[in-house]
Amino acid sequence: MEKEFLKLFELFIAASVINNFVFTRFLGLCIFFGVSKKMETAIGMSITFTAVMVISAALSWIVFHYVMIPLEITFLKIIIFIGIVAAFVQASDTIMRKVSPGLYYKLGVYLALISTNCIIIAVPLINAGENYNFLESLSFGLGSGIGFALALTIMASIREKLELADVPRPFRGMPIAWITTALIALAFTGFSGLITL
Amino acid sequence: MEHQLPEEKVSYLQILKTAIFKENVIFRLVISLCPSIAVTNSVRNGFLLGIAVVFVQVMVNVTVAAIRKFIHPRIRIPIFMLIISGWVTIVDMIMAAYARAAYKEIGLYIQIIVAFASILARAEMFASKNKVLPSLFDGLGSSLGFLGALVTISFFRELLGKGTLLGHTIVNAKPLLIMVMPTGGFLVVGLLMGFFNWIDIRFYGGKGAGGAGGH
Amino acid sequence: MAVAKKEQELIVSVSPHIRSEESTSKIMWTVTLSLLPAFAMAVYYFGPRAIYVTALCVVGSLFSEWFVQRMAGKEIAVKDGSAFLTGVLLGLNMPSSVPFYIPLVASFVAVAITKQLFGGLGYNIFNPALMGRAFALITWPRAMTTWFTPTAAFMGMDATTTATPLGILKEEGVHKLLEVFGDKMTLYTKLLIGYRAGSLGETSVIALLIGAAFLLYKRYISWHIPVSFLATVGLLTWIFGGKEGLFTGDPIVHLLSGGLMLGAWFMATDYVTCPSVKKGQIVFGIGCGFLTALIRLKAGYPEGVMFAILLMNCFTPLIDRNLKSRVFGARKEAGK
Repeated sequence: MEKEFLKLFELFIAASVINNFVFTRFLGLCIFFGVSKKMETAIGMSITFTAVMVISAALSWIVFHYVMIPLEITFLKIIIFIGIVAAFVQASDTIMRKVSPGLYYKLGVYLALISTNCIIIAVPLINAGENYNFLESLSFGLGSGIGFALALTIMASIREKLELADVPRPFRGMPIAWITTALIALAFTGFSGLITL
Repeated sequence: MEHQLPEEKVSYLQILKTAIFKENVIFRLVISLCPSIAVTNSVRNGFLLGIAVVFVQVMVNVTVAAIRKFIHPRIRIPIFMLIISGWVTIVDMIMAAYARAAYKEIGLYIQIIVAFASILARAEMFASKNKVLPSLFDGLGSSLGFLGALVTISFFRELLGKGTLLGHTIVNAKPLLIMVMPTGGFLVVGLLMGFFNWIDIRFYGGKGAGGAGGH
Repeated sequence: MAVAKKEQELIVSVSPHIRSEESTSKIMWTVTLSLLPAFAMAVYYFGPRAIYVTALCVVGSLFSEWFVQRMAGKEIAVKDGSAFLTGVLLGLNMPSSVPFYIPLVASFVAVAITKQLFGGLGYNIFNPALMGRAFALITWPRAMTTWFTPTAAFMGMDATTTATPLGILKEEGVHKLLEVFGDKMTLYTKLLIGYRAGSLGETSVIALLIGAAFLLYKRYISWHIPVSFLATVGLLTWIFGGKEGLFTGDPIVHLLSGGLMLGAWFMATDYVTCPSVKKGQIVFGIGCGFLTALIRLKAGYPEGVMFAILLMNCFTPLIDRNLKSRVFGARKEAGK
C-alpha cells in the first residue's frame, strides 16, 4: 500500500518537475509561448488547464479500458481521445456558460484554446501506452497539469520583467522567450537522475 | 492571413511562396512548435516528421475542399478534427510499419500531429473556402515551410551536437553535445528566429517583431 | 529600526538596485577584489593553470560584452567591471585542466547570451557565470569533471586525477572519504584550507570567507541569502545525509565541500538575479539550500549548488512579484 502510494507520488513529481512537459518533453509549447505574456492570463490558463487535464485523463482511461479494449478498437485511439477531449471541452464550455457566467467570463477563453494543446492529447496517449492503472493515470494527469502551470507561471513572471529590458531589437518578443526557455531547461537538467521510472 | 483573394489573380506559385517564406509556420507565425524541438535532434527524424505533416496537411486540405459544400458550418470544426485524426491515424500506421527505428523515437509526436494548430488553421482558413486544386497547393506550401524549418533546425542540431548529418560522420567529434538536448533545441530556434528577424530588419526594413504568438 | 526601514524602501523601489554607473563599477571592482584571496589560493594550489584559465574567461567575457554591445549599437560599457567580474567568477568555477576553448565558449554563453541578449547589466534573469558553467558542464561532461589533486609547490607532488570529496561521498560514502583524508579532524581542516580536488576557486573555504567578510563589512552583500542557504543545506544534509538513518549525516563535510561557499556568498547574492526584498531573499536562500541538498543526496549529479541557484533564479521574478505587491498593499492600507 505504502509502495503504491510512493509510486503515485513519484509519478506526480516526475511528470510535474523532473520530466516537465515543457522543458524536457517539448509539449504544449504553442500555448506555453502564446499565453505566457501576462501573469493574469497565465494563471487563468493554468487553472483551466489543470482541471481539464485531470478530468480528460480520467475519462479517456475509462473509455480506453471499458470500451476500446473490449471492442478491440485500440488502433483508433488517436481519433477517440481527441474526440473525448474536444467533446469534454465543448461540454464544459456550455455548462460553465449556463451555470457560472462569472467563471466563464474569466476562464472561458482558455477553454477554447485548450483543445489545441498537445499535452492534453499526449497524456491519454502516454497513459494508454504505459499501461498505467486508473490512479496512476490520474496522478500522471495531475502532475502534467501542475507541471505545465508551473512552467507557465515562471515564464509569465520572467516575461513581464523582460518587458522593461532593453533586449536587442531582433530578439524582442518570441526569440528571447525561446532563449529564456532554453536557459530554464538547462537549469532543469540539474534534476536528471532524480527519479528513474 | 486571410486568403480570400479571387483565385485567378493568385498564381499557385504565389500561394506556395507566401506559405513557405512569408508565413513560415515556425519562424514567422510561431505555431505548431512542439515538434520543432522534440524531433529535431537528428535530420532523419526532423525530415520524417516533416514529411508526415506534409502528407496530412495536403490530404486534409484536399478532403476538406472536396466535401466543403456538404459540411454544415456549425459543426465544421469537429468534422475537420475527425478528418485530421483519420489521416493522422493512417500516417501513424504507415510509419509504425515501414520506419520502425524512427517510429520508436518520434511515434508520440506523429500521433500529436492531430493537435497541430497549423493544420486545422489551413483547413479552416483556406480549404473550406476554396476549390480542391488551390487548397492542395496551399497545404503543400504551408507544410513545406514547416518541413523546411524542421530540416534547418535539425541540420544545426545534428551537426553541432553529434558531428554527423543523416547519420554520416562529418566531423569526428561532438563539438557541442548540448545541441541534441532540450536546451540546445530551444536555443537554436531562438537564435535562428533572432537571425531571421535581423535579416528582415537589416535588409528588408521590416519591424522584426517575430511572431505574434498563437497556438 | 528606522534606518533599516529606509534601506528597505530604497531597495523595494529600484529594481536593478544600481543607482548610477559610477557606483555600479565601484561595486563590481570591489567584489572582484574580494575574490583575490580565493584566486591567490587557486594559484597556490593549482599553479599557472589557474591564471591561464581565469585569464581566458576574463578575455572571453570582455570580448563578448564588447561584441554584442557593438552589434546592437549600444554604448560600449566594457570598463564597468561587470564582464570582468563574470569572467573571474567563471574562471574560479572551472577545473584547472580544461582545454582552452571551454573557457572561451562558456564566457560567450555567460556574457553574450545570458546577459547581453536579455538587455545587459541589470536585466539578466540568470547568473551569467553559472549559466556559462552549466552550459560547459553539459556540453563537455568529461572535461568539466576531470579534477586534479592540488599540488602545492612546497609539497613536491605530481598532479594526479582524482574525485572531488562530494564525488567520493556520493559514489562510495563517508568511510571512503575518511580513508582518503585520514581522520575526521584532518578532513575538516583540509576542506577548510582547501587542500582538495575541485574547481579552481571553490576549494579554500577560509579564503572565500575572508572575501565574504570584506563584502559584508562593506555592506555590498547582506547575510540573508548566504545564511539561509547554508543553514538549509546543513540542516537537510544532517537529517537526510546519513546512510544509517535520519540525523546521521555529516553537515560539516557538506558545508565545506563543493561550490557551496563560493555559490552562497558570491553567486546567489548577485544583485540582479536575486529577489530585492529581504523576505524574498530568505525564501530564495532556503530554496537554494533545499535544491542543493536534494540534488546532492538524490539526483544524478554529485554537486547541486550551480543548478540550485539557477533554478531559484527562475523563481526570482515570481518571488519579487508576490512579496513586493504585498508590501505595497500593506502600505496602501496603512496610508488610508
